[in-house]
Amino acid sequence: MENKPLSLLELNSLVRRSITSCLPDEYWVQAELSDVRVNYSGHCYLEFVQKDATGNALLAKARGIIWTNVFTRLRSYFERETGQAFVSGLKVLVKVTVDFHELYGYSLTVVNIDPTYTLGDMVRRRKEILRQLDEEGILTLNKELELPVLTQRIAVISSATAAGYGDFCNQLLHNSFGFVFYPRLFQAIMQGEQVEQSIIQALDRINATRDNWDVVVIIRGGGATSDLSGFDTYDLAANCAQFPLPIITGIGHERDDTVLDMISHTRVKTPTAAAEFLINHVRRTAQELEAYEEVIYQEVPRLLQQEKQRLGSFVTRIPGQVQMRLQRENFRQEKFQNRMKTAWQSRLLQENYRLQLMPRLLSALQNRVQRETHRLELLTQRVDSASPEKLLKKGYSLTLLDGKVVTDASLLKPGDEVETRLAKGKFRSKVINK
Amino acid sequence: MAAKKETYSEAMKRLEEIVSRIESNELDIDQLGEYLQEAQKLIKFCKNKLYKADAEIKKILEEDNEAQA
Repeated sequence: MENKPLSLLELNSLVRRSITSCLPDEYWVQAELSDVRVNYSGHCYLEFVQKDATGNALLAKARGIIWTNVFTRLRSYFERETGQAFVSGLKVLVKVTVDFHELYGYSLTVVNIDPTYTLGDMVRRRKEILRQLDEEGILTLNKELELPVLTQRIAVISSATAAGYGDFCNQLLHNSFGFVFYPRLFQAIMQGEQVEQSIIQALDRINATRDNWDVVVIIRGGGATSDLSGFDTYDLAANCAQFPLPIITGIGHERDDTVLDMISHTRVKTPTAAAEFLINHVRRTAQELEAYEEVIYQEVPRLLQQEKQRLGSFVTRIPGQVQMRLQRENFRQEKFQNRMKTAWQSRLLQENYRLQLMPRLLSALQNRVQRETHRLELLTQRVDSASPEKLLKKGYSLTLLDGKVVTDASLLKPGDEVETRLAKGKFRSKVINK
Repeated sequence: MAAKKETYSEAMKRLEEIVSRIESNELDIDQLGEYLQEAQKLIKFCKNKLYKADAEIKKILEEDNEAQA
């Protein structure tokens, strides 16, 4: 019995029984989804993988299956919670039973899923990318760009077939204000693994003619949740952050922002919202213009009217002014005349008075002249009576020494020659003795 | 194209200047007519930008389209 070889079926049955008895429970396991596909009957077949730290080499791999009844329930739960389609590349925490089938071999059958693990992983991955962009100093570059005053020439990155692009164009071109927009499609794949490269290529095409555009819009049709991991990559984020035109994203998901949303100039939820954003931006510009227009068309006539009123008030004020001036002049003249009259009268009075004084003055003068004449006569008489000639005639003589009158004999010395003047003639003599 | 965008901004800037002068009563009544005329031209220019499709822009974008196709 010991040597009897087992059939493969027997061996596999043995493995199955061993596994069933050794691993009878349900186990929570962390793994990455790979090769996820759903067959016609709704069963989901996939691979669970575990990679090394570099993400390049596989460390473990297991086939997985989610039966249709479980898958329908779990998928909607997962997608509702994460906002993310159940696709390859996601890290998941699933509850599995370990099975072995004699024909199909080892597999894990999923019975439950914990979406918070996936969410956490997505957040961690986004954080990591954002940290790297921040370190490189490019995280906020696109946000720092100023949105042009006019955002009319719009380079749209989308897939041509997506309903989102049609909605966006409709909204723009039929805006209720009648603004003109020039949207142009730059096609890109907006789903799956090629998203990153496809969008980068579209950005390159826009960049080649960047002077032709005011703004870039990246939109994706809404509807069913799909794989957004393509929008959470470093290369795409770095390209967008450094793009020379402002980027507006409307990727059409309700949950967390992707890295692309976080680095873009403006993030809105849907393509329609992106169109609204651009319309409102131009609307603000138009409102500014309307405000100016209003001021100009209201203020200018008002100023003219105001000027007219000023002129009117001048006209009505002029006669009054003139009259007042005339009155003032009259008054001044009267005043002047009065002053002149008074001054003239007082002068006349003064002159009259002076005229009355004149005879008195004349007689006073005559009296004075007479008095003075009389005094002169008396003086003449006194002078005459005191003249030496008169004295000489009376017998007095005048003795002179060296031309000077001698009145003191003691001043003469013997020998002095003196001159004696008489009433008639003179003679010289010598002092002999004293 | 870039120059045209500038012109819109410049037109708005000039309008703002005129408006602020009007509002602050700085304008000489003799200049009012000139300013009004200038403002009208600027407003028309800006409105055309907003509301009228520019054949030149369309043409450039179409050329770009063809180059891509």
